[in-house]
Amino acid sequence: MAASPASSATETSPDNSAAPAVQIRHLNYFFGTGELRKQVLFDINLDLPRGQIVIMTGPSGSGKTTLLTLIGALRTVHAGSLQVLGQELMGLSSRKLVGVRRNIGFIFQAHNLFESLTAAQNVEMAVELQPQFHAKRTQATEILGQLGLDNRVDYKPESLSGGQKQRVAIARALVNQPPLILADEPTAALDKKSGRDVVTLMQKLAKEDNRTILMVTHDNRILDVADRIINLVDGYIESDETLDTFNTTHDPKNLDQQMFIL
Amino acid sequence: MKRTPLAVLNLLHERTRLLVAIAGVAFAVLLIFMNLGFQGALLKTTVTFYDQIQADIFLTSPQSLEISTTKEFPRTRLYQAAGVAGVERVMPLYLESLLWRNPETRLSRAMFVFGVNPQDPVFAMPELQTAAARTILVQPDTVLIDRLSRADFGPQTVGLETEASRRRVIIGGQYTLGSGFAADGTLIMSDQNFVRFFTPRSFDQINLGLIQTSEGANVPAIAATLRQQLPADVQVMTRRDIIQNDLLYWLENTAIGFIFTLGVIVSFIVGTVIVYQILYTDIRDHLKEYATLKAMGYSGRYLFVVVLQEALILAVTGYIPGFIAAFGLYQLTFQATNLPIEMTLNRLILVFILTVIMCSLSGLISVRRAVTADPAEVF
Repeated sequence: MAASPASSATETSPDNSAAPAVQIRHLNYFFGTGELRKQVLFDINLDLPRGQIVIMTGPSGSGKTTLLTLIGALRTVHAGSLQVLGQELMGLSSRKLVGVRRNIGFIFQAHNLFESLTAAQNVEMAVELQPQFHAKRTQATEILGQLGLDNRVDYKPESLSGGQKQRVAIARALVNQPPLILADEPTAALDKKSGRDVVTLMQKLAKEDNRTILMVTHDNRILDVADRIINLVDGYIESDETLDTFNTTHDPKNLDQQMFIL
Repeated sequence: MKRTPLAVLNLLHERTRLLVAIAGVAFAVLLIFMNLGFQGALLKTTVTFYDQIQADIFLTSPQSLEISTTKEFPRTRLYQAAGVAGVERVMPLYLESLLWRNPETRLSRAMFVFGVNPQDPVFAMPELQTAAARTILVQPDTVLIDRLSRADFGPQTVGLETEASRRRVIIGGQYTLGSGFAADGTLIMSDQNFVRFFTPRSFDQINLGLIQTSEGANVPAIAATLRQQLPADVQVMTRRDIIQNDLLYWLENTAIGFIFTLGVIVSFIVGTVIVYQILYTDIRDHLKEYATLKAMGYSGRYLFVVVLQEALILAVTGYIPGFIAAFGLYQLTFQATNLPIEMTLNRLILVFILTVIMCSLSGLISVRRAVTADPAEVF
């Protein structure tokens, strides 16, 4: 029995290269229903052009992850407009949302690798989402090589270190060369050096191939890779600045109230 | 290039769990095989009885239930039947039980007795076709004993003397019939001896009337004529009718058919629960990974197929050892009880289908968890 993922993927999400990677207009989002209904995102307006690395920060509970999962087509949009790679997600059926996800690379806080599969097989699982995957092994070893895992291709996750596992997860997210990469605390489980390596790798790949990366992080050590930093507080976009401005406004020397928010 | 066989790799990753699962399925398969085996053997014994009786039409009392629970009826009915066109020969069969004493342990057990006219070719067993066998049968207090009678009846040596229903009895010879659930052992004796052993029974009251039709006769038509002509104190049955009647008796009027069907159902449920436990644990352990697959763009259907594949792999790998164990136990049961318990192709297929249904059912119950895995929860 051959298991084949739904074939609707490619038709439903044309990668319109002219459009910005993400365009959000008046997005509101609620959790719960009726009496318990609670709004978590308020009137979000955001454009992410191609090739930009954007870091989203903010206190916990501010709605960062919710926004990330909305952009990643993992949740249904309630109100407003959310376009990802030129595709409007508002009102899209869950079957079509699955198709949109195939053009997005996800990197999670936990690596979420199958313990039963080798590093290469875990990456190949992503390649198999493509209509053609006869070269999956080559593609997998190639990207693992780029991430410095040449010698670990046939290792299972249990014999890899935390940093290596996270790099396998990144290889899995990048192997299909998705135009948009969403990462949630990719360095949280890593030590300083591994975290740095991972972020530098992502930066290199983004710049070389004009990918858009949206990263949620609390890790101040990696802010320098960002082209732009968005600060989300209580469901509102509090600030949206370039790295330089962000550094000035958040410099401890300028005793500004904002530093307590970060 | 083939897809990564996720189902196989997931199962192989947890070796201990896989072995437990296979053992569980094998156990359920074995239980189902044994229940069906006993049921089949029971049915088969009621049939083999009649296979050795050389008659096309049977007369019984309407009050008879099956061969070991019969009511006598007048022998005259048999002679009346003999007058019908197409009837070649009629033969009376006397049936009773006596207490046979095991000469070694001195314990008595009930033995089923066929009383026949030594000149009548009632049975098809080759041992009874010789003139010598007829000579033995006409000797007083001499009987032939079934080799397949239970060992509890004691030795079956020719010439052995023991006591049956307070009379001396001599084993004159042996034959092979098999007695099934109706009796633990059988004897064949002449009608003369029968009347002696079972006083006050007479020649005039018989238990089964055997009718042989002439070569190429239309048996159902003759049976219909007999039904018309004979009074209502006898029942006319063709070979198929009487076999069907006995089968139905055991299946419906005793607990035996019910017990084995229940046994199959219980085994099926046990198997379903075991496989469900294994699959559910596997899904629970991999929930984050499954949700990740969905985030990557795999559909719920893909996960559904993976879980179902795991279920089917368990079905096949559990069926094989279950079948082998059942085959061994069938042999053992046959040696211990002489029940004609046999592995038939139909049963092999039936149990395989049941196993596949059992595992798929568990798969379907547990798969919901994987399919509904919310990719948004992974973050």
